[in-house]
Amino acid sequence: MSALAEIEQEIESLLMQPPYGGVPQQRRSVLLALLKKELAYACDRNPSFRNYVEHWPVDFRVADKISDLPYLPVGVFKTNPPLALVDADNVKRTLTSSATTGQTPSRVVLDAATAKRMAKGVITIIRDFIGAARRPYLVIDTPENLTAQAELGARGAAIQGLSSFATEIVCCLRTGQEGDSSLDVEKLLACAAKWKHADVLVYGFTYVIWTHLVEPLRRQGITLDIPNVRVLHSGGWKRLEQQAVTRDEFSRGVASIFGCSSDRILDFYGMVENVGVIYPDCDHGNKHVPAFAEIIVRNPLTLAPIKIGEQGLIQVCSVLPTSFPGFLLLTEDLAEVIGWDKCPCGRRGATFRFVGRLSKAEVRGCGNLEAARYQQGHGIGVA
Amino acid sequence: MSDLIQSVDSPQTIACAARRLREIVQQKEIVPEAVLDIFDQWAAAMDDPGLREVPGVAFLRLWLRRGNLEPILLRELGPNSLNGGWREDGRAKLRAFPLGVVGHWPAGNIEIQPVLSLTCALLGGNACIVRVPSRLVSITGQVMEKLEEVDRTGLLIDRIVMASFDHSRMDLHEAMAQAVDGAMIWGGAEAVSQLRGLPFPHWARLLVFGPRVSAAAMDAETWGDRTERFSWCRRIARDVWQFDQQACSSPQALFLERGAGCDPKEFVEDLRQAFQEENRQHPRGEIEPALTSSISQARASWLLGNAENSALFPASPDWTILLGTGTKMPSPTQGRTLTVLEVDDLLEVVSNFDGALQTLGLGVRDAQKEERLVQAAGRRGLDRVVKVGRMHVFSSPWDGTELIRSMVRVVRHVPSRDC
Repeated sequence: MSALAEIEQEIESLLMQPPYGGVPQQRRSVLLALLKKELAYACDRNPSFRNYVEHWPVDFRVADKISDLPYLPVGVFKTNPPLALVDADNVKRTLTSSATTGQTPSRVVLDAATAKRMAKGVITIIRDFIGAARRPYLVIDTPENLTAQAELGARGAAIQGLSSFATEIVCCLRTGQEGDSSLDVEKLLACAAKWKHADVLVYGFTYVIWTHLVEPLRRQGITLDIPNVRVLHSGGWKRLEQQAVTRDEFSRGVASIFGCSSDRILDFYGMVENVGVIYPDCDHGNKHVPAFAEIIVRNPLTLAPIKIGEQGLIQVCSVLPTSFPGFLLLTEDLAEVIGWDKCPCGRRGATFRFVGRLSKAEVRGCGNLEAARYQQGHGIGVA
Repeated sequence: MSDLIQSVDSPQTIACAARRLREIVQQKEIVPEAVLDIFDQWAAAMDDPGLREVPGVAFLRLWLRRGNLEPILLRELGPNSLNGGWREDGRAKLRAFPLGVVGHWPAGNIEIQPVLSLTCALLGGNACIVRVPSRLVSITGQVMEKLEEVDRTGLLIDRIVMASFDHSRMDLHEAMAQAVDGAMIWGGAEAVSQLRGLPFPHWARLLVFGPRVSAAAMDAETWGDRTERFSWCRRIARDVWQFDQQACSSPQALFLERGAGCDPKEFVEDLRQAFQEENRQHPRGEIEPALTSSISQARASWLLGNAENSALFPASPDWTILLGTGTKMPSPTQGRTLTVLEVDDLLEVVSNFDGALQTLGLGVRDAQKEERLVQAAGRRGLDRVVKVGRMHVFSSPWDGTELIRSMVRVVRHVPSRDC
């Protein structure tokens, strides 16, 4: 059996298990062994990646902890062409992150097998939170994000990732002539009337739900009265923080529009580079890690894993991708570790809470020229 | 701690303070000789266990000594300047007078910069308003407390207002700019660009330091000498460690000229030891998570960008050595990340420099070669060329500018009566 086939078989086996059920120690041991095989495979496939791994202070082949394995900062996926382990011919889809204006988005390439695993990973996780039943799916976005595209943004990926839970899909935003989005109130009210007593799945980016659904409906004094709704949202809080909208206020606002309780609003953390893994809040406000993934929170001063109650940089680990080296990624986000096991919700493994994005360093210093100055033509700076 | 640093919240407070300072400057003249006396005592008072570990205080003590400043004053302001006398210039006479009130905007990353900046203006007889960055309020307060101890008559203290306010308060920055006759601005690109645009009076003289970067370079005879190599590595480590590599004089790259039998991998092994040693002696107490992220990014980009590149670094973000080839300045990462580049000819490196480069630290055995490098560097915009290990040892001229003379007006008097 080839190295890749062996890896694929082991990933499939992990995907078949209950996502939050295993004994953490055993889970980590299985993951460590599989991640080592994936690193060896990636080194064979990509000489640049091999160069990085060979310079890592710990030889991954003898590492006895996942936290000792070589990890990449997520920023490396901002390069063009994207960092890949497959030939261009085998790339089925490229996912791009939702970079804000002026930033370069991350790009990760998926082959058919990784794309399939991505879908499976998301379904496994979401099923654990909302159940396996299919239901009407209301998308707080425009229909363009539902179309199959070779290059897919984070919003499109999240929307399409949930489509397997749908009996029917309705997008309630429409695109205007100038490319702006607005709420199609008539369509939305028709859905609300039709789905009044049904279990309904709703998804949208956090700020899109607030600015394109909650605010306009509030202004018009409209509520939807779909009490059995499950509203999933992601994409970060930066824009709402700028508008001084707190998480509580958001949940209450969304709940009042749908006529449901606030606990039916589910925030999840995720990123395109960590394909197939998302981290929804449980009923106790904690985030959990599925069997095919792990999370390490590192002290910025030492990069060593932190203790319970401390905050640090999030490293996400996932065995799912084989088309790009996204197994072990240091993010630009901060989290607090809540515990290593036994959350009151019953899910096992590490629990954490998202704290926020890294803020720009305040101390710039007299030696800090604009980075852009050196990024042209030197091949060193990452755009 | 000194209560000299006031938390300021209104533009009126700054305007009032500036009016009071201007009156003092116009009514009470101080000569450099008197300032030097107090500075000398101040330097002695700073020999305090509580201040010894503050980065840059050792330099500040040396800077303030009469033996250091007197020659600078004489060179910049001429003979007789110490007592405020006039000097002959043909039929005319020349004498330095203060600009008036000088505003100081130091960078937030150099602990001693608020104090260093104001000393230059005080030597010219000026009064000063200093905006103290929030991170430096405590340290600056400790240093200023020592000045208060020695300046019992308030000769200098009365001429100083230190203001602390958030960097985003543009109304306060503007009030400060409108109230001054001169400004000394230090900092990174973003800060400097913003401060340059403030509404200064049209006569105000602006002195801007930074943003700049620096590099070091060594010829093969120097870095290839196994007996001397480690001591050179120690010097480089010192230059990298000071100010956490965030100063404009901090080396971001080290260029090694190729030589027969010289292996850069051997050199960086010694450099690794020197970095480890320096890190043991001066470990970081804190780090901004954003810098940790940048360091991780720099390591990965370097090694992924070219499979021929190599690197040495620990699991922590404590230090990083990136080894490769190339004659151009790499993107600065800071945070003790040194890019070591092998080159055929150091002159080719210098020919790529421009005004963004401030200091070149050199280790060159051949004096003629060094002379050629310095000439070329001067033409390409560099202001300082010093020995590796002394890249942060500044004197005037500073960034190619005379510090004290820039904050005075030299008045020319041609007598009205015929001789």
